[in-house]
Amino acid sequence: MIGKQRGLLILILGLAISSVVIISQIPTRLGLDLRGGTQLTLLVQPTEEIPEITQRDLEAVQSVISGRVNELGVSETSVQQLGQNQMLVQLPGVSDSDQARRVLGETARLEFRAQSSGTEQQFAIETQILQQHRVELAALQSGIEQPSEIEPDSPDATDDSAAADGTDAASPSQTAEIEVVQQAIQESNAAIEALFDPADLTGQRLSDAFARPMGNTNRWEVVIEFNGEGSALFAAISRDIAGTGRSIGIFLDDRLISAPTVDVQYAETGITGGGAVISGSFDAEGASDLAIQLRGGALPLPVEVVETRTVGPTLGRDSIQRSLYAAIAGLILVLIFMVAYYRLPGFLANIALVVYALLTWAAFNILGVTLTLPGIAGFILSIGMAVDANVLIFERTREELRAGKTLYRSVESGFYRAFSSILDSNVTTLIACAALFWLGAGLVKGFALTLAIGVIISMFTAITCSRTLLMFVVLGLPQLRKPELFCPGLPQTDSK
Amino acid sequence: MTLKIIQQRSLWWIISGLVLLVSVAGMALCFQQFGAPLRPGLDFVGGTRLQLARDCAAANCDVAIEPGTVRAVLAEQDLETSVIQVEGNEGQSVSIRTRNLDLEEETSLKASLETAIGPLDPQSTQIDSVGPVIGKQLFASGLLALLVAFAGIVVYLSLRFQLDYALFAIVALFHDVFVTLGLFAWLGVLLQVEVNSLFIVALLTIVGFSVNDTVVIYDRIRENIKLHPERHIDDIVDEGVNQTLTRSINTTLTTVLTLLAIVLFGGETLKFFALALIIGFLSGAYSSIFVASTLLALWRERSGQGTVEVAEPAEPANESP
Repeated sequence: MIGKQRGLLILILGLAISSVVIISQIPTRLGLDLRGGTQLTLLVQPTEEIPEITQRDLEAVQSVISGRVNELGVSETSVQQLGQNQMLVQLPGVSDSDQARRVLGETARLEFRAQSSGTEQQFAIETQILQQHRVELAALQSGIEQPSEIEPDSPDATDDSAAADGTDAASPSQTAEIEVVQQAIQESNAAIEALFDPADLTGQRLSDAFARPMGNTNRWEVVIEFNGEGSALFAAISRDIAGTGRSIGIFLDDRLISAPTVDVQYAETGITGGGAVISGSFDAEGASDLAIQLRGGALPLPVEVVETRTVGPTLGRDSIQRSLYAAIAGLILVLIFMVAYYRLPGFLANIALVVYALLTWAAFNILGVTLTLPGIAGFILSIGMAVDANVLIFERTREELRAGKTLYRSVESGFYRAFSSILDSNVTTLIACAALFWLGAGLVKGFALTLAIGVIISMFTAITCSRTLLMFVVLGLPQLRKPELFCPGLPQTDSK
Repeated sequence: MTLKIIQQRSLWWIISGLVLLVSVAGMALCFQQFGAPLRPGLDFVGGTRLQLARDCAAANCDVAIEPGTVRAVLAEQDLETSVIQVEGNEGQSVSIRTRNLDLEEETSLKASLETAIGPLDPQSTQIDSVGPVIGKQLFASGLLALLVAFAGIVVYLSLRFQLDYALFAIVALFHDVFVTLGLFAWLGVLLQVEVNSLFIVALLTIVGFSVNDTVVIYDRIRENIKLHPERHIDDIVDEGVNQTLTRSINTTLTTVLTLLAIVLFGGETLKFFALALIIGFLSGAYSSIFVASTLLALWRERSGQGTVEVAEPAEPANESP
């Protein structure tokens, strides 16, 4: 019996230590309301041609938006789909949201343009310069994120956002360097764009694009299909450049996303029939990315910025710090109360509560939960419920002691009898959380998630952790085996 | 200490009734003024709110910002109906609430303000701009979530307890939600306090806690019915409530303690959130102890189940000692 308790005790200790390690290794993701930044909600509006927005359309628009967000040069951005027709864009740290609002609210522009003759060499040079700038930028940005490279497997980070603990912001000199490189990239893009003839073949004439595997190899290709008018234009462009070594530039929002060349065999007629295949050294992911970008560019769906929330970095930090200190002070009062009222079990419950807080915090970090203001409220509430479970158990234990049972029996049946209350109350809370998580909007979701995680873990710590500690004391430490440490004023059993 | 719950039930109901009446009056007053039972904030009606702070490293911060100066700037842009509040330490921040501004309007407004009152500090700026579509959506999704949560709780409690327990638990929930709504209706009328999405989160939290309180008491009543099927429901309820009374008080006390610290010392954003929770939790403890229990006793008595043993409830999974 005592051996079992000892085993559990070691398990709990192990869990607590691994939690501390996890908390120190994986940074907590803070929401923009806590660390400052801009959050935009974009509404994708249906048009006459596309009265209903499908999941596939939304995915395509998302890729266009992601492209634009990446061009902003902000690190740790995230673009998520929201419901049927919305997109949530998060830009940490930018206090000047104006540029973001300007570029994100535009309809995508896709163009197929023939490379001008005599620009072959120039094109190769410019592409190389652009490539260099991109590498520089990536190096600069990863330099900033160095202390927090581990990316938790988060379900809500759909693009290349990296984890950050929100404190290691870019130094002003790094920010300036990034801006310089950013500028250079834009110039490169413009230089490349100048090498291509203007064209009439736009995204509206593209009817579909998708990725497919190439024969038996593990290479992939992208199939593009034009409508009637588009096929004629495409045939003309492809005929002009076939076999010349020049390429067809595919531009999305004036950025070159692909530059395929056309085989000499098409020099007579061009590529006819309204379909074409872009093959190259695509892997599955690359091909699918390009296809999605093409589809996004082909959609004439207007995007409107319907919600902007900007929080200055200092402001967010101030408001949260004050509330957090207040909450911690309150919790310390609760810990003191528990010892004062419930004596030895109260002290043990406090240890269990600290273990609980560590486990929950570690769980947030592992699951990549983004902590927002309501999320912290959910966490505090779940601490309340964890305290409640202990209170229920100890009250029950006292009742049993007053009824004249032995200490061991009282503790056992205290846990046993309080269990159904704890189970029922926690399950009802979980039901409410589930409803909120599936139906609620952003803020409400964060709250439901942290509360649910907290409640599940509190069931474990209240039942296992408090119980093991109490049993260990009752069975293993005879000097503490005194009923008055559990329930003061016991001799007058019928005082109540 | 023993509370005579059943004997004094008319007293408990009168207290609840009066509080609810005051709540409804507050909401009616709000409805008359704002067309909604509470003063709706930016999140629900849309608009733009700019919270700007003067950058004291670059500006002259000797005197507080004059609301008149700000209003004059707003009037130039046909925004004189906006709400302006000078706040912060020594009046160096200003909060402006306007109709929904587009990007150009917002940029030009900020520029004119900078010329009028001095450079602003982007580090402590907060700008929220909510379109009317989003406002409606936030409200509707919050409300739907609340209703589905209610339904889920009814189903679970009917399975674990019985339908009448579940229904009275929901009555207690409505009681607590109403009391909180009432308080904020009055705060809206008297102190211009607005409700936003965070308020919906607060209501949901209250629902979670209140049902928790009720379930603990019902669990004890259920257990007592099982132990003494021959006793009258009034005695059983009385005993159950008293057995769980210390727990109810201690749990509410410990939670309210933490929240009180936030109300007194916490940041602006969380102050009213914490206040809503405190009121809801106190009301939740009250309704669980005095309302849900007495209603259940009355219902069982009237429907002739005063001493009849009820069906065996399902046992928790791992109850073996």
